[in-house]
Amino acid sequence: MSEIKVIEKAQIPIGAVMLFGFPDVGLVGVIAASHLIEELGLAEIAYLDSRLMPPLIVLHEGLPHSSIRVFGNDKIMLAVSETPISAEIIYQVMDTLIEWGRSKKVKLMVSLSGMPIEDRQDAKELKVFAAASSPETLKTVKDKGIEALMEGYMVGPQAIMLMRASQIGIPAITLMAQCFLNYPDPESAAEVLKGLATMTGMKVDIAKLLEKGEEIRLKARDVMQRTQQEMTKMKKSQEYDLPVYVS
Amino acid sequence: MAIRKRERSFFDLMDTYFEGLEEEFDRWRESIMDMPSWNEKTCAMRPLSDMKVTAREVIMTVDLPLTLESSVQVKPLDERTLEISAEMKRKIQFKELGATHRKGEFHKLHCHKRVPVPVDMDKMHVSYKKGILEVHIPRKHER
Repeated sequence: MSEIKVIEKAQIPIGAVMLFGFPDVGLVGVIAASHLIEELGLAEIAYLDSRLMPPLIVLHEGLPHSSIRVFGNDKIMLAVSETPISAEIIYQVMDTLIEWGRSKKVKLMVSLSGMPIEDRQDAKELKVFAAASSPETLKTVKDKGIEALMEGYMVGPQAIMLMRASQIGIPAITLMAQCFLNYPDPESAAEVLKGLATMTGMKVDIAKLLEKGEEIRLKARDVMQRTQQEMTKMKKSQEYDLPVYVS
Repeated sequence: MAIRKRERSFFDLMDTYFEGLEEEFDRWRESIMDMPSWNEKTCAMRPLSDMKVTAREVIMTVDLPLTLESSVQVKPLDERTLEISAEMKRKIQFKELGATHRKGEFHKLHCHKRVPVPVDMDKMHVSYKKGILEVHIPRKHER
């Protein structure tokens, strides 16, 4: 029996698109997820419960919530974590969410993330890359005009998501917008949301996100700093490595 | 029978050295995380920062969102320490940061950064773009 449980709080849609926004480089996924929740008015439909998770709850409007929750409507399910997930439990967390998503017959999984670049502050535009779980999904990515990440390493929850989805045959994509490594990056989150719109047709207004960008950077400092610690433990810097091709 | 202690190679010594450095860095980082990133008394918040040491220089960046470029100050306190501060465009209250149970407001970002190698502070070069402060300080190589 899994040591992590998904507790459902509402009617769960069948055949939805499942999104993931977890703390990672530039907090791109979390910032994008938070904006999606606000703009689309997504409600909490499920949450994770486990003794493997740290003894931590998030208080919202005076009430306790799990730090890993799923928001949604009749078409979308969005898994989001408000604190970095430790390297020790990341596999169990992702396996549980993916297996649950499969039980709800999700038609596509999309992980929202970032790709750090040097001298990010000098970048005039931020490119979005994608990696896919199968040749068919990779073709769709390319057909939609998103540049595919063809070679390299990927570290973190999005890496597990892509691999597991590939193993169990669920179409999955990881979208990565160029971003700061260690600073919250709302501009990058806006770009990844544009990529999501291209891939799924799920359009959201990003004007407010850009307008509030500086406040978000200020607010997200603590989560970013704790995320850095977990990224170090996961050897995130390996994403910079040049791969050795074994064919 | 006496057991002869195996001599340690140069690489073993280097590994030990870097492991020690890594442990020291982890301890330092954990001690930083044990402190809040804000100070109610000085009305200041600690910004995120990053440092890279290359063969020629030390490159430091500091994330200074919501600040005015004209108010940014980078001041050497001694041969190895910089004081960085910047006034915010407006005062930020705790409740805007999601903490309704605390009272107080902040009007600046402030931090001290210690450089791990000897540098020439007089030749420091500072730039500011999109709220990111970048400081380049040439290294001083002792002969």
